[in-house]
Amino acid sequence: MGMNDAHVEELLSAYLEGGLDESRSADVGRHLASCPDCGLLLEAMKDAREALGALPEVEPSPALLRRLYAIPEKRRFRLVPDFLLRPSLQPVFAGATALLVFVSFLAFSPGGRTFQKSINRQLHVGYSKAERLYAKAGSLTDEMGSYKETILGSLKNMKLLKKGGEK
Amino acid sequence: MLVNAYSKKVFNMAYQFSGSSQEAEDMTQEIFLKLYNSLRKYDFARNFTAWLLTLTKNHLIDEYRRTKWERTQRNEFNDRAIAQDAFSGPERSIVREENKKLVWESLDRLSPEIRMTVILRDIQGRTYEEIAESLGLPVGTVKSRVNRGRLQLARVLKDRQREWA
Repeated sequence: MGMNDAHVEELLSAYLEGGLDESRSADVGRHLASCPDCGLLLEAMKDAREALGALPEVEPSPALLRRLYAIPEKRRFRLVPDFLLRPSLQPVFAGATALLVFVSFLAFSPGGRTFQKSINRQLHVGYSKAERLYAKAGSLTDEMGSYKETILGSLKNMKLLKKGGEK
Repeated sequence: MLVNAYSKKVFNMAYQFSGSSQEAEDMTQEIFLKLYNSLRKYDFARNFTAWLLTLTKNHLIDEYRRTKWERTQRNEFNDRAIAQDAFSGPERSIVREENKKLVWESLDRLSPEIRMTVILRDIQGRTYEEIAESLGLPVGTVKSRVNRGRLQLARVLKDRQREWA
């Protein structure tokens, strides 16, 4: 069966490497003998393979080797363990950093000290208010104690306690 | 040690792929950094060389795609490539030298995937099966890519030969 150029081109590498069965190889050979263009392409492919195969290996430079030898050492003496570098921990580190910045602002900056004082003052005022409120509540309890009998008497008169006892 | 055993292989692969010794040095260093970072994931049942080849190939193709607009031209290949032909007659030697230069420069015209298969097959002399395993492709696809790459290079040589004629 005759072959066209495109078909032969598809099979050219296999033909060159002896990867075709006998009849297919004979078909390609016949086409190549009768088609100068494909024949030239085959010769050029042989030259290209020969040129590629003749490119030698190149030695890496001593400077590159030094850089490569240094990589494991860098890794061995790393201060931060791998698990701390996970991306999922980044928001935690961001939050912790913001907190540290705020705390250092309060602790060390002059403006921060004023701010701290005003917070302390407010806290102190709030604490005094709470104390006063607590004292008032205590006096109210005492007062209520003194009115206890009167209140209980009034409640008995209203028969509210009696009604509760029956239940 | 990994550097002793594999630095030359990785560097040559990067050099053949990129065509620039400076880029090849940078890429080799990046590949070794990746290698050390990925060693924990290495499956000991797998062939180490094939695994390293896959890692190298992925890095080279990714890097090529990322930086293709910034890339410089291929360096002239090492002079030793030409010196080897000195004993085969001056005329033949000149033709071979020209072919080598032309093929070396023309590797840049191949797509990264096709260039990688041509390098592995025709420069490094690996079998189709080895290439298929490393690249995670069927053998038929590898053969087809190698053929397409060779055809492209052959057409460049053929056109040059016509110009000379």
